[in-house]
Amino acid sequence: MPAPLNPRLEMVALDAFPVREPVSKRAYTCLRLRTRSGAVGYGECSRLSPVDLAVLRGAVQGKEASSFESIRRGLTASSAGLAGLDMAMLDLVGKFTNAPVYQVLGGPTRNQARALARLEGETDNGVVLAVAQARAAGHRAFLIPVPATHSPNHSATLVNATRQRLDRVRSAAGEGSDFVLDAAGKLTPGDASSLAAALERSHLLWLDEPCRLSNLTAAYRIASENVTPVGFGRFATEAGVFQNLLRNDAIDVVRPDLALHGITQSRRIAAVSEPYYVAVAPFHDGGPIATAAALNLAASLPNFFIQQVPFAADEQDRRMRARLAGDATETVKDGFLQLPRGPGLGISVNEAAFTEYRESEP
Amino acid sequence: MNRRDFLAGAGGTVAAGKLAGSPTRRQSLSFCDCALQPQAAVPPGAGALASVGSKVRITNLKTFGVTIPGAPPDRPYVFVKLETNEGLIGWGEGTLEGKAGAVLACINDFREFVVGADPIAVEHHWQSMYVHSFYRAGPVIGSAISAIDQALWDVRGKILGVPVYKLLGGPNDPEGVRGYYVANARTLDELKRLRETAQAQGITAFKGGLPNYYEWIETNEKITEAIRHVETLREGLGPDIDIAVDFHAKTSPTVASVIIKELEPLHLLWVEEPCPPENVWAMARIARRVNTPIATGERLVASYGVRELVEKAAVDIIQTDANHVGGITALWKVAALANFSSISMVPHACEGPIGMLASLHVDASIPNFLIQECCGQAVPQVRDKVWEEWFGFPVMRMVNGKYPLPDKPGLGFELTEDALKKYPFAGSRPMARVFHKDGSVAEW
Repeated sequence: MPAPLNPRLEMVALDAFPVREPVSKRAYTCLRLRTRSGAVGYGECSRLSPVDLAVLRGAVQGKEASSFESIRRGLTASSAGLAGLDMAMLDLVGKFTNAPVYQVLGGPTRNQARALARLEGETDNGVVLAVAQARAAGHRAFLIPVPATHSPNHSATLVNATRQRLDRVRSAAGEGSDFVLDAAGKLTPGDASSLAAALERSHLLWLDEPCRLSNLTAAYRIASENVTPVGFGRFATEAGVFQNLLRNDAIDVVRPDLALHGITQSRRIAAVSEPYYVAVAPFHDGGPIATAAALNLAASLPNFFIQQVPFAADEQDRRMRARLAGDATETVKDGFLQLPRGPGLGISVNEAAFTEYRESEP
Repeated sequence: MNRRDFLAGAGGTVAAGKLAGSPTRRQSLSFCDCALQPQAAVPPGAGALASVGSKVRITNLKTFGVTIPGAPPDRPYVFVKLETNEGLIGWGEGTLEGKAGAVLACINDFREFVVGADPIAVEHHWQSMYVHSFYRAGPVIGSAISAIDQALWDVRGKILGVPVYKLLGGPNDPEGVRGYYVANARTLDELKRLRETAQAQGITAFKGGLPNYYEWIETNEKITEAIRHVETLREGLGPDIDIAVDFHAKTSPTVASVIIKELEPLHLLWVEEPCPPENVWAMARIARRVNTPIATGERLVASYGVRELVEKAAVDIIQTDANHVGGITALWKVAALANFSSISMVPHACEGPIGMLASLHVDASIPNFLIQECCGQAVPQVRDKVWEEWFGFPVMRMVNGKYPLPDKPGLGFELTEDALKKYPFAGSRPMARVFHKDGSVAEW
């Protein structure tokens, strides 16, 4: 006869709260997972359909919060919410053990986490403004978009426009600033390679998503023709894609999307990268609960380099994020985020914010 | 003298003889249900090879941990001394940074491979120590084998009455073996003074390092600082002194590639260990993207350990260390492997004097030798004084840019236990443990 379930770990209820930021319109879904004893764990995922939620609810019934692996393997189709469920389950395990998740996972491996502010901006002026604002908020590393030239296969235009943008943001950001250039998978491989070659001496942290991932040969050529580091990941829904990139010498920074891979699968992706001496910089374009998850992940990894966080340019969006998970989680000082200290994910989630910022049904 | 009589008369070695067994009391190996049992356990030097070997037998093996002032505390010297029934002595070294206690213990684990054995058959004993270690050799076993191998070569040379380099077909150059010192200068002024010293002494090459610890992706500030640091080396030392730069595996393939690409105009002699040693393909990735010669190998054991590097043409220079790779036997074989692929040899040596002197014999006789390390400086240091006190001559001190070769048999020196007594073993000490500012583990 199987041992009875521990009521402090036995999962009995899973609820989803879709929220939306008032200005940026960035949307994400907060998950709340409850145990029989009434303990609560939180996670975050991208938009979750009612069918996916029902699948996850079925999967957690009669299981303990520590059993993520058996739940993951038990699901035949990948569920959009699995990454968020992983966070919520680990939150509960941490609360049960009275330890931060990074301690549960073998950390801490560091005492803080370098932050990468993801900035928006159509024009150079817009990007420069965003960089200045993020710098004032404590950031030192910036993910900025490659300028859109609307003339593919005309790399001279692209290189010139990019150089101009980099020069302008560098002088706006000042000493000790670093940049990741985000091509967002939109360049042709030839343009990406020309750009990477032209920027070899610019000492970018890396060039992100230089081309689409569907053509591995093209990705390999970009990485072999020059020494500019390249990052890939936000379009890699299948974790095994990273191994393929690594063994083909096509990647310098692995960028698993937290909303796709959660903590546990991201740890596996990091483990695969380690024997290639490749650093991990998780992609994250969601809310503050996932930021807390990211910080716990960062402090459990040996090869973590930097954590992307969405930079909320508007005060209203910043207030919402702080209302959801507290001020401290996303506060950046001298380019670094501080680790949460409390058990689980280490944040106090304010459920009133779920209602305040509830996303209306589409 | 048959083996049993010999052992019975050899005092302190009886215990070892019992363990090793004899033809009449063969050691049983049927302790497991292995499908294939070994047919016989023949102790080296006894039985099967006796009629084709020498009459010399090793009668004792002694290990020494030696801590001297002025040497890094992580590497007390690990020496082994072999005594023989002919009165000939062999010295070897297996110093392994941070793991002195483990290597001393491992050398003693090989005691019954050696005591009672014929020292002439060094290849046979090397094979037995390596193959019969079953799991193959990592750095601890590799260093233990290195110590015993060097000592066997020392004895062999003395039995045969010639320096070891002559047994290996050398010397290539009667003036000695080209070497380099550490460039212990950082500022432009210091470097310019070092250049003058070098010109006065005939020193032709120096090695420097990188100024920082690096994460696997790096910031503009640290990358720029690294490049400026090496540019200053070239500026200070001038165009005609060769410069190598040891990255010491502090960088990832990614960061190393970015830095080395910008160092290309400096025409460095080589860049060393631009990434950690486990992943040959990653090392090859750097070599493919830059023109500067790439060197690596100080942490590798046996020719098996370098095969993949050579096959993939990952590097230009191999740097196995006579104290870790498996002694003279293995260093020579690595050189052979490298030679057929046009790879040069720059044996690593940054521990004690015996391993360095052993390296010279290989250096003097291989066709693909480039230059020999010694981790010394243009101005003699405390360790150099201790070494001279032990050996009675300046050890690893260059004359006109070359280490002179010994002309005595074996490794070419006399060393007494008394000389070492002044420097008792102060115990194992770990290698430096360095961390990034956020507390995470860093390579140094």
